[in-house]
Order: sequence, then C-alpha cells, then structure tokens
Amino acid sequence: MTGFVDLYTEGDTVLHRMDPRVKIFAVLMLTLLILMISSLVHLLILLAFIALLVALGRAPFSKVSLALRFVLRVMIMIVILWPIFDPSGTPVLATLGPVRITEPGVMRGITNAVRICCLATVWYVLMFTTPQRDLVRALVKLGVRFDFGLTLSIALRFLPTFSATVESIKDAQRARGMEFDKGSPLRRSRNYISVLIPTIISALRTADTLSLALQSRAYGARRHRTYLRELKMRASDGVALAVVVAAFVMPAVAKFFLKVPV
Amino acid sequence: MIPAADSRAADDKIISIHDLKFIYPGGVQALSGVSLDIRRGEYVAIVGGNGSGKTTLAKNIMGLLRPTSGTVLVNGTAVAGQRIASIAHIVGYAFQNPDHQLFCSTVWEEVRFGPQNLGYPADDMDARVEHALRSMDLMSVKARPPFSLTLSERRRVSIASVIAMDPEVLIFDEPTTGLDMRESEALMASIARLNSEGKTVILITHDMKLVAKHAKRVVVMSEGKVILDSDPAGVFSDLEVLLASKLMPPPVVRLAYRLSTRGVPRDVLSPEELVLRIMMARGDFR
Amino acid sequence: MSTQAPGRPANDASADEAAPANFVSPSVVALYAVLTALTTAVTMTLAVPFPPTRGFFNLGDSMVFFSALAFGWRAGAICGGVGSAAADVLLGYGYFAPITLISKGTEGFVAGAIGKLRGGRPWARVLGVAAGGACMVTGYFVGETLYYGVGPALAEVPVNIGQAVFGGTIGLAISYVILVVLKEFPRIPSRL
Repeated sequence: MTGFVDLYTEGDTVLHRMDPRVKIFAVLMLTLLILMISSLVHLLILLAFIALLVALGRAPFSKVSLALRFVLRVMIMIVILWPIFDPSGTPVLATLGPVRITEPGVMRGITNAVRICCLATVWYVLMFTTPQRDLVRALVKLGVRFDFGLTLSIALRFLPTFSATVESIKDAQRARGMEFDKGSPLRRSRNYISVLIPTIISALRTADTLSLALQSRAYGARRHRTYLRELKMRASDGVALAVVVAAFVMPAVAKFFLKVPV
Repeated sequence: MIPAADSRAADDKIISIHDLKFIYPGGVQALSGVSLDIRRGEYVAIVGGNGSGKTTLAKNIMGLLRPTSGTVLVNGTAVAGQRIASIAHIVGYAFQNPDHQLFCSTVWEEVRFGPQNLGYPADDMDARVEHALRSMDLMSVKARPPFSLTLSERRRVSIASVIAMDPEVLIFDEPTTGLDMRESEALMASIARLNSEGKTVILITHDMKLVAKHAKRVVVMSEGKVILDSDPAGVFSDLEVLLASKLMPPPVVRLAYRLSTRGVPRDVLSPEELVLRIMMARGDFR
Repeated sequence: MSTQAPGRPANDASADEAAPANFVSPSVVALYAVLTALTTAVTMTLAVPFPPTRGFFNLGDSMVFFSALAFGWRAGAICGGVGSAAADVLLGYGYFAPITLISKGTEGFVAGAIGKLRGGRPWARVLGVAAGGACMVTGYFVGETLYYGVGPALAEVPVNIGQAVFGGTIGLAISYVILVVLKEFPRIPSRL
C-alpha cells in the first residue's frame, strides 16, 4: 500500500534549529555546485559531505531508504542506458551491432548517476529537518505573497486529510466488490473514477466551508499583518551561510577564472 | 461421520471471531483479543465510545483490514485468505459517510455498481436494483444524480447499493448520524424490516436510544475489548460498566434506575414500559 | 475619524497599512488550496500498477486535467504545476520539482486554455487534454535529458504517454460529472 509519508522527523539537531531560509538557500547553492562539478571524485567527496549532513540531521534509516529507492532506480537506468547513447571517445569496450560502448561513455554514465544521487540527497537535508509550515513561512519571508503562502500552507494542511479520504473511499468501494486492478483498461478507469469523484466532492465541500472560515477570521482585512513567530537569524546561521557560499564560490572561481577542471 | 456441508448447516454461526487482535501500521492497538459469535438472523448492536474499536472490528469482518492475530470466520470460511470481493457476496458494509461511496450520475447506476462488480447475471439486474430501491423508498429519485439528494436520501442510496448485492449480513456504521428524528426512525424501521426478512444486522452506534429500541443483543466495546455482551435490558442495568466505557444509557433507562429505590424494576427500555411499571409499582392495577 | 479604534496594533502607523489587503478572494484561496492538495495527494497515493515495466503510473495527471477543464487555465497551471511539484519535494526528489512544475504547469495551462474554448465543447476538451498531455511528455523528455541523458529520458517517454492517456481519459470523465455537481456549491467560483 502506498500511504502518505511526511519526511520531516522531529529532532533537536543543529540542522533542526537552523533558520529555514538559510537551509533553503544552502540547498539551492549546493544544487548549483553539484551541477557545476564534473569530476567523479569531487562528486563522491560532495556525496560523502551530504551523507554527513543527513546523518547530522539524525534522519531515520527507514525513511532514507524509502526515499532512496526511487533514486536507485534512476541511477541504475542511467548507468545502463547512458553509454549506449553516448558512444564518443576511446577505448571501445564492446560493439553490439550498431551500438558501441566506450570507456568514457561508461564513466560519464557513472558520473551522472552519482550526480543525481547528490541532487536527490541534498534535498533530504532540508526535508528531514524542516517542518512543512516552516518551509512555507520561509517562502513568505523571502518575498512570496502572503495569500500565496497561505494557499500553500492550507494545501499542505489538507494533504494528510485528503490522503486518508482516498484510503477510506478505496475501502468503501472495495466493500462493494470493486477490484482495482482487474478487467479491461476501460473498467479500470471506471474503478479509479469511483474513488476520485467522491474524493473531489468531499474536497470541494471542504473548500466551500473553508472560504467561509477564511472570511469569518478576517482574512485580508489589513494590508499589514503581524506574525506570532518571527524567524531570526543567529550567529550559527551566519556561519552556515558563509560556509555554503565559500563552498560554491571557490570551485566556481577555479572553474571559470582559473580554468581548473573541477 | 457427518458430511462437512451438513455440519456447516447445523452450525448457524454466520460470523465467528476468535481472539482477534489488530494493530494499525502506526502501532496503535485497536483490538486486543475480541471473541464473538453472531448467529444467522440476529440483530446485534455494537456500542462503545470513540476509539473503542467498533469500526476496526467491522472492517476486519469485511476483510478490509487483516487480523494481526486471531481468526475471523465468515460463513465458516476464514476471511484471511479471501478477496474482499468474495466476502462482499456474504457481508455488506454501509459506511458511515455515504459520500465516500457515491460517484455515479444517477441513483439507479449507483445501486447497480455493486451487483455488477460481483458479476450477478444481467437478466435479473433490473429487478434486483428495483427491489433495493423500493426497500429504501427511493424509486421516486432513481433518475437523479446522488449528489443532489439530501443527506438522508444519500445515506439510503448507499444502503440500497449494499442491499442490491444481497448479502446475508448487513453492517451499518452509525447510520443515523446527521439525520433528524423522523428520518432516523424511518431508516431504523427499514433496517428492522430487513432483519425480519432474515438478514443478519450488525449496527455500529453510540446512540443508546436506537439500541434500546431496536437491538436484540448488545455488545459493548471498550479499549479494543468486548466488556459486555447481553440483551439491551441486561446491558442497561449495568450502569457502572456503561459509564466506564464512555456511554450514556437513554434517559428513560436512567430514570428507571433512579426510581429503582422506589420499587420500579431497572430493566425498562421504553417510556411506555416505564409508565406501565410505575403504575404497577403504585398498585394501579390492584 | 483620526482617533485610533481600540485594539488596533500599536505599529499601525499609516492609513495605507490599515487599508484592506488586495489579496485574492477567500473563495479562490480555498479552491486553489484544495485543488493543489488534491493533486499532491492523488499523485502521492494513487498508483496504478503498470505490468510491462512493473513500474507505476500515478493518477496525478487526472487531477491536473480535471482542474484545468473544470476551472480554467489558471487553476490548471497553478494547481497542476504547484501540486505536482509539491509531491516531488515531499517524496524526496526536490531536484526534479522545477521540471515537474514547468511540465505539469504547462500541461494544465494548455489543457485549460484549449479545453475551455467555445464554452468547453467536447472536441475542445479532448483537444486540450491531448495538447496538454503532449506538452507534459515533451517537458519531461527535455528535463530528463538534461538530468539523466537521452537514453533514460527516451525510456520514460512511453510511460509518460501512458500516464497522459490514462490520466486524460479519467480527467475528462471526471470533469463532466463534477461540473454538474458544482451547482450544489454556491461559494465555489465556477469561472475564474
């Protein structure tokens, strides 16, 4: 059964305490860094660093392995398929009809697979240590309009509710003898429709009452609003910011100005 | 000596639950050792406060949840190895929220969905659907979209769609939630009629007035266990146990309980009965 | 008029700040939030086993198409794009979210823009779904080529086409039913 999973895990680590804005910025910088680096060795070093950060955030192994399953599938696909479509360079390792497998092609495949692994895991640092509401709050503080942020946080608030509704409706239809994955494609579409329509209608009922609730709580009454919890940057956040910027700028300078391959 | 088929016929237990335990994936233990037999044609109310395990029990009977340990037999066969669709031939389950079942564009199609899934022959399908609609008094709205009906009608549609599958056992999960008194009495009368026609009825509720009026047997659940299993009068005479399981007997029962010091018996279930008992206690009939 | 009403925030200095905010209306916030959450929830929880590759379709596209066909291109683009991208972020592959945002956002935008032509005639809806689905498949192909290379991107194309066809069929069917139901909800804006 595919249920709803929230990657965030309660904790009180350095990463949990960090300002979410700094974490979002750090993830973006690290993403750029990963996309910039083209040496396998450097990528592996970076991957080790990211793994260290994930460990620092005390991410539970069960959730990490769950999230990694998808990435592993993609990595395997890249390692197998990349060389077939990238036959440049020598030495040629194997020839199968028109297909040519070369050593640089294989190396580039592996490098890209590791890069994808870095790109995926760097997000875990953010997702495992930051509650969803803090993510939205950070976005609003970074300049996203309040009403957009509110829409997003309401959406996140209802996500588990709707996932539970989907499960309950699935049960209700199964009790009527419906079997999801049986029959012709047309029959199957009808089976999924029998779940989606009640889900949508119950969601629209929610929207209907929600708009009243928003009005009755003086939504949009004032342009200026105050917040119960303000985000504060601390010294440790500044240090983290400096480290991340340095980690990006130094290789960037090396690559683009000193023409050193990284 | 006795052939298997005969021994099953002799055994009139339609549902037999033995030491059923169920733990949700999150680790919450919802059922901790339930044993319960329900005979053909019984009208059983399962009562208990929120979170006492009533719905979890019903979902285990339907096969929607699979026991962590223990067994559930439906018509002599273990639920564990069966598909839900084959259990649905014997057990029908009307969910608490009718809107979780309705999706077709007419009431008629909605009621036909279940029997179609079970592969019932097409030639008597119309008769089957019509019978179900009549028993829930819905023929006048059969061409309307279910969503445009009132809550009471929607609930009856969801029940009709279960009846159309012609199961021997009907489970009703809080069928009167959100209905006014007249609507819920009409619905309960329909359920009583189904029972008199031979259907086994399992009523999940915490409305004690319904229980007092309709059920012939009451199973009280608390914290995942059956703590009382008796006829309504027997259950209501045990006020302490009821209160401990977050249940409140109907006012007439509580009144009789107060009056018991004045010579009125406690096992009273209806206002008419109470009047009669008070008159008897006063000696009006002497 | 210039005296401060009791209970006003102390830092409420200028008249401009006391003026009502020019937010989008509460009914739009409610609807968009709900459509976004629906898209995310369905993307994350409803997976259709897909025998040839033993992989999974998800039914997220059906919600993108439904939002677009029932509420127009704006809802399609925003709820489809943001809802699907949110699913990526929450499932732990945030790096892919920008590509999803663009691919599914375009899918919803195109399906809504074309599907609402001539008051949403059947041919317009089918065309909208087809064009939107094509945009999604193309968008993912380009994005996956950037990230994974041509090979894996090509391998994903049939899966994405299947997902668009399945999601499109279901989204179309649902949009018809729900548009009838919408009359029961006076506070939900039907035209945005």
